[in-house]
Amino acid sequence: MIKLRHLIWMIVAAAGLALSVSQSFAQQPEDPGDQPGLVPEENVELDPEFRKQMVSYRSTEPPGTIIISTAERHLYLIQGSGRALRYGIGVGRDGFQWQGLLNITRKAEWPDWTPPPEMIARQPYLPRFMAGGPGNPLGARAMYLGTTVYRIHGTNQPETIGTAISSGCFRLVNADVIDLYDRIPVGTKVIVKQKPEL
Amino acid sequence: MRTFRGGLLIGLVIAFAVAAAAVTYERYDTRTLKRTLRRGEVLCGVNTGLPGFSIPDGNGNWSGFDVDFCRAVAAAIFDDPTKAKFIPLDTDERFKELQNRKVDILSRNSTWSMSRETNYDLYFPAVAYYDGEGFMVPRSRNIDSALALDGSKICVQDNTTTRLNLADYFRANNMKYEEIKFDRLDDVVKAYDTGKCDTFTSDASQLYALRLNLSKPDDHVILPDIISKEPLAPVVRERDDDWMLIVKWTLYAMINAEELGITSKNIDEALKSKKPDVMRLVGTEGSYGEDLGLTKDWAARIIRHVGNYGEVYDRNVGSGSKLHIPRGLNQLWSNGGIQYAPPIR
Repeated sequence: MIKLRHLIWMIVAAAGLALSVSQSFAQQPEDPGDQPGLVPEENVELDPEFRKQMVSYRSTEPPGTIIISTAERHLYLIQGSGRALRYGIGVGRDGFQWQGLLNITRKAEWPDWTPPPEMIARQPYLPRFMAGGPGNPLGARAMYLGTTVYRIHGTNQPETIGTAISSGCFRLVNADVIDLYDRIPVGTKVIVKQKPEL
Repeated sequence: MRTFRGGLLIGLVIAFAVAAAAVTYERYDTRTLKRTLRRGEVLCGVNTGLPGFSIPDGNGNWSGFDVDFCRAVAAAIFDDPTKAKFIPLDTDERFKELQNRKVDILSRNSTWSMSRETNYDLYFPAVAYYDGEGFMVPRSRNIDSALALDGSKICVQDNTTTRLNLADYFRANNMKYEEIKFDRLDDVVKAYDTGKCDTFTSDASQLYALRLNLSKPDDHVILPDIISKEPLAPVVRERDDDWMLIVKWTLYAMINAEELGITSKNIDEALKSKKPDVMRLVGTEGSYGEDLGLTKDWAARIIRHVGNYGEVYDRNVGSGSKLHIPRGLNQLWSNGGIQYAPPIR
């Protein structure tokens, strides 16, 4: 009985997620300006706000949990005793923002990029496949979120940190994504928080 | 003779009655809002000059977190944030001048403590900014926790609670330190800047402000740990509950606005919202403003003219300012901090 109820809830939740994602995609936002092939300049100086730093952050989540605040453009890695390691991120543009709870299901170094069909439909100039490397928009590392098309990844456009431009992924500068990648295992819990709607 | 004594008695009774009335009037003054309305402006006691909190420019225009809070009260009452007059007050005169009605509100980085409420007949309606003692260290030390400060040489101002808190913290954590103390804050800063010590302790908000004046500000980091409680709050006179409630709920309206995602930029959209908690805050449902002695749109006025809590924080002391103080404890309770406002309902 309990299992059946679980199953029903999961179906409802999945339907809800599918609905919200399809609604988001229906909005047809402007071109996000992905630049596959562009090799980023090294040592781009981020705004102080978006540089990696230890901050005060109280949470009932266990150390090792990732909390993403899309409104703030910050990713927090909970450290315990009221502290978190904070990274600056780029987030999804309007219509490509979502919230929820997922786990890291896979990690990859210098990942290959296969833009999903929805993205190709919106941005036909994108390559169908691109091998991993410095010009790859996924950057130096990727951490895959659940079974979704979303990832936490690096970037070849460090100047986009602090902006809302992606298709729903979270991007960090390569140095930061490498640092984060080395700190978290597969299975890490990721909580994505969205600004409230009016 | 009889008539003289009778007259004296009546005179004494009258004199006593007048004196009693005067004392009652002074002690139980509940007319701050009325006086403010008649005057047409809120009188705000502020710091004489503290970057990020309250500071005048060359033309006498005030800016800062404490200044904006006073403007928010003016916006709630008059729908006009410029109806606030700023009166700079020194540390030792601030509470007395509030009691003497020279100001309606003290919005002057004052720490809320028990003895201040009991000894001065004053009331601190709500915490506007959670400050506390922190540490600054050279970036080259590569430290990111106060618990890694064992064996440090620490610069601190003498005759302050800062120095006492420092001693308590190191003793509680079984750590040793060498203390280098000075009477004047300037000397503490200079000693740290010239490398006579490898750690500087003071209230965190002050550390961020002082860092700007170091010879190489970028070479120094402020640790996230806060080791003492310095809750900074506006102050009003006791026993004028109507006024106290206006000041208290002005702050809570700003915090609730941030939590609900209402900003100075989307306030018009918020006024059309059908979400019940948004409607109660902006006044499209209920009579919360009238119950305060103000208008329905009191909170919408605050948000439109001054902004929500986060906007005021960022503009004055946060990411949009020179200070770049992370939100820390002053982040919303739902986002890693402890700023929490009771609901408007």
